[in-house]
Amino acid sequence: MSSVSVALDNARADIKGSDGRLLILTQTLLIFFLLTLSLTSASVQRYLSDNLDSMLGADMAVTSYDALASDEVDMLTTLAARRSTTQLMTLTLAHKGAWQRAQLKLIDDIYPLQGELKTGASRSAEHVSRTRGPGLGEIWIGPRLSTKLKAAVGDVMTLGDTQLAVTAIVFHEPDRLMEGHSVAMRAMVHSASLKGANLDGTNNRYRYLLEANASERSAIEAWVAETLPAAEITKKDGGSHPLALFWQRTENFLGLASVILFFMAAVAVDMANRRHLVRQKHRLALYLSFGTRLSTGLKISLFQWGLGFIASLCIGTALAYVAEGFLIGQLADQFPGISWGWHTAALVKTTLLTLALLLAFQAPALWQLKSSSVASLIRAQDTPRATFLRTVWGFSSLAMLASFYSDNALLTGMTLAAMGGALLLMLLLTWLVLTFGELWARRRPGLLPFSFFMMKQRIFSKSTQILGLGLCGLLLLFTLMLMQDIRTSMDGYVRSNDGNLLISAAQPKHMKAIETWASSTGSVIRALRPFTNAQLVKINGAKLDDFVTKPSDTLSNVKSPIRLSWSEAVPDNNRVVDGNWWQPGEADWHRISAEPEVLTDLGLALGDTLTFQIDGKLHDFKLTVSHAFRPGRGSITFWFQVPPLMVTEVAPSVRYIGSMELPDAAWGTLDTLWQQFPDLSMVPLKELTARFDATLAMVTKLTVGFAAMVLLMAGVVIAASIKGFEADDRQKNGLLMSMGLGKRDCMKLSFYDWLITALIAGSGAAAGTWLAGLLIYQSQFSLAYSPDPAWLIGSVLVMCAVVCSIGLTYSRRSLSASVTDLLAD
Amino acid sequence: MQNQIELRKISHFFDTSDERINLFEDLSLTIKAGTTLAITGASGAGKSSLLTLAAGLETPKAGDIHIRVDGKTASATDMRAHSGFIFQHFHLMNELDALGNLALPLRLKGNKDAFDIARTWLERVGLSDRANHKPNQLSGGEQQRIAVARAFVTNPAFVFADEPTGNLDEITSGKVADLMFDFAAEGGGALVLVTHNRELANRADTSHHLAHGKLERTS
Repeated sequence: MSSVSVALDNARADIKGSDGRLLILTQTLLIFFLLTLSLTSASVQRYLSDNLDSMLGADMAVTSYDALASDEVDMLTTLAARRSTTQLMTLTLAHKGAWQRAQLKLIDDIYPLQGELKTGASRSAEHVSRTRGPGLGEIWIGPRLSTKLKAAVGDVMTLGDTQLAVTAIVFHEPDRLMEGHSVAMRAMVHSASLKGANLDGTNNRYRYLLEANASERSAIEAWVAETLPAAEITKKDGGSHPLALFWQRTENFLGLASVILFFMAAVAVDMANRRHLVRQKHRLALYLSFGTRLSTGLKISLFQWGLGFIASLCIGTALAYVAEGFLIGQLADQFPGISWGWHTAALVKTTLLTLALLLAFQAPALWQLKSSSVASLIRAQDTPRATFLRTVWGFSSLAMLASFYSDNALLTGMTLAAMGGALLLMLLLTWLVLTFGELWARRRPGLLPFSFFMMKQRIFSKSTQILGLGLCGLLLLFTLMLMQDIRTSMDGYVRSNDGNLLISAAQPKHMKAIETWASSTGSVIRALRPFTNAQLVKINGAKLDDFVTKPSDTLSNVKSPIRLSWSEAVPDNNRVVDGNWWQPGEADWHRISAEPEVLTDLGLALGDTLTFQIDGKLHDFKLTVSHAFRPGRGSITFWFQVPPLMVTEVAPSVRYIGSMELPDAAWGTLDTLWQQFPDLSMVPLKELTARFDATLAMVTKLTVGFAAMVLLMAGVVIAASIKGFEADDRQKNGLLMSMGLGKRDCMKLSFYDWLITALIAGSGAAAGTWLAGLLIYQSQFSLAYSPDPAWLIGSVLVMCAVVCSIGLTYSRRSLSASVTDLLAD
Repeated sequence: MQNQIELRKISHFFDTSDERINLFEDLSLTIKAGTTLAITGASGAGKSSLLTLAAGLETPKAGDIHIRVDGKTASATDMRAHSGFIFQHFHLMNELDALGNLALPLRLKGNKDAFDIARTWLERVGLSDRANHKPNQLSGGEQQRIAVARAFVTNPAFVFADEPTGNLDEITSGKVADLMFDFAAEGGGALVLVTHNRELANRADTSHHLAHGKLERTS
């Protein structure tokens, strides 16, 4: 009990000092950030799971990118109590000179299987519940599509050769959930209305909505797993929400962001701990001199730290709940009806993880405390190994955390490599600058040479300060640079594409019409590459979900059909990274090349066998080559490419992707092309830009929030770094003043000291940012990394100015004390 | 003897990057309860090192140290629980007031009456009116009086003092020395002190001079 009260006294005494407060502030901020993230995430997860129960429109849904064979459909009908078949495709609908890409749902007589449709006679009309979809010759359109096409109930729309009457505006479909976070404009027709229209839009899906009890559901599940490897099942019970993967990836990105914040917190804790540790060691040595056992002393220290953690936890948790409320409000557009919650499990899990990590930061300090001795009170003892231990331990625990959090091993590895490289560079620079600076200064009078001398004497502590500031600068610079470049690349998408109209999928039957239309309007076809839709279903004979266990963007993309292209030679905008490209006319068409990012994310290696479903049939390909994108020679590239002989052997449905340059006058006649071929997929780049803008707005919101967190943490790191070394500076200044130097001279000395520190740290941060850009940009974002030297140098100068100003402000404060006070320290 | 430390033929040295510095060889010394012992010597002679070895804070490079506490053989760690220290630089905790500093060893030993006992001791060293003053509000002499009381407050078997008057003027030194010797006599423990101060050393029951690695009894 006495130990507890001593620990309480110590904690109370420490919180009165700025070092103690800084430690608590750092911990509180970290807990606040991480809890906000996990509580918001838990709210979204709960929303997704509640939503699944009421928004599926069926007990179970089987989705396939190819139509099932009639015997397979019969089997589904036999296994389920009731079945409704729907088909979805993306088409361009044109009406009264306007056009719009929209998702068309083809339904049968049974739709909706469960729940009701809600429609109205106009966009503002009252919603009416309907138990049947549109009849023959009718089309129902969504309110946004109605606005865009200026189409109202009573109008007649043309789809290819078919005339359809708009009979309702559709507001709600009971199976809306299946579309996940898609905000595509929607229309609905009866499948019989388009019989013979021979439409083949992009993003084609067949969805079989089933009514089935538990035993029927498990029988269907088993049969689908066995017979339809490419099909996807969504269930009410225990199924995953279509938005879940999207959210999980968002969470993983935020997870990596948390790792960056953790790195900064680690630096701040290490800095703030520096003085705190000296005090703790002194305390412990004194306890030992009273005959207290080392274990008791350590217990007191640990308990005292625990009290600080609890204080941080209380404040951090309260703030996190407030922030959760704010963020839930922001997310209401994406997740309608989402609500705030306590989420005890998420709270406990995150608290334990934070506790474990903060304890890991404390481990080296405890190890150092263990070496406290009464002898250290009699004779000064130093433990230089501890700096090394702290650095290695901190870096290893954070590397482990990063790999635990991140879904992208390559990205995490590269981030860590860039940071490691920057750390080494800063160490080397510190040693070189201080050693040569001191050599230069040896026979020179003046304050700058004296600064070099002093800094060389304190090279150990100076290195820690430089590494901390440099790492913090690197993370801050990299975050800001990435934000700026993602914005620029999104804005610049128009310029990097050859042309102003993207042909995202054209069928051979469209090509003649496109060419004719192009020549009649003075448009130019700039690029065209053939592809077929292929869905990766197995890797080395194992199902995709069994082979790949970590979620990633790549995985979620390859779960849907991707574009599989072919080329005799290595395309101009590609280069071979590994393996050998096939020879012209090579007979083995079962070879395939993939991008390195795909290999990393899916855990593939050359020699693996990939099974693709093409037009309903399975084909094996052996992974023998890896190719990467080469910027600057056209933007159309493919994740997977095969030899051209595949086309002859498999005879797949061929599509083309490419771009066109339209003169201004041609835009007005585009609707004629689309009215004739609604399944021709072309996207004007300005429309694409508008979509990017919407995404950009969300990305900007996220990154601004994150940058604010990083900036706040950077402020704490700088304060911790300066406070951690204030005692040394006070002592130094006190001694110098006692030797006759004026305050002005001491300020000058402080300025030189901070300037050299900031210059080395800033250079390290800039070099690390450059290295991170070089490693990450091309491989992860397919962006050509072109560092702007002026921006980098400018950043270093701004960093120097900020660090020097804050440092000098502190120095001025410490100099305001009298010589006697300073010496008393 | 109930409490005793016996140093038998101990040798000690330390290595710098360039050379080995031998402090002493085959040195023997016995510290008995109820006695006071002073060690004098020039700076760098190894007095503080000898004190840390005797207090069991370090192990000699050669030779043995035998410790008996309450009539039984004890380890250095066991002895630590029955020891007190007085330092040249006082080493009071800045964040605690005079009373808190004095009560600290008692509280760490789980004594519920720590503050009451500490108050009595504060009175004994004549600093009752300074109970709520922080170390930076006390003079050097006052700080060392508290440090002395702190070393004796748990009634230890051994008290080790390293230059206890090194930072004090002559008059204050005398007062602090009085306290040390009085407390040692009352408690019945052993007091080992390392000092440059001949006058202080002469007040001990036995006095030794350490020079060139040899320990010579001077009184």
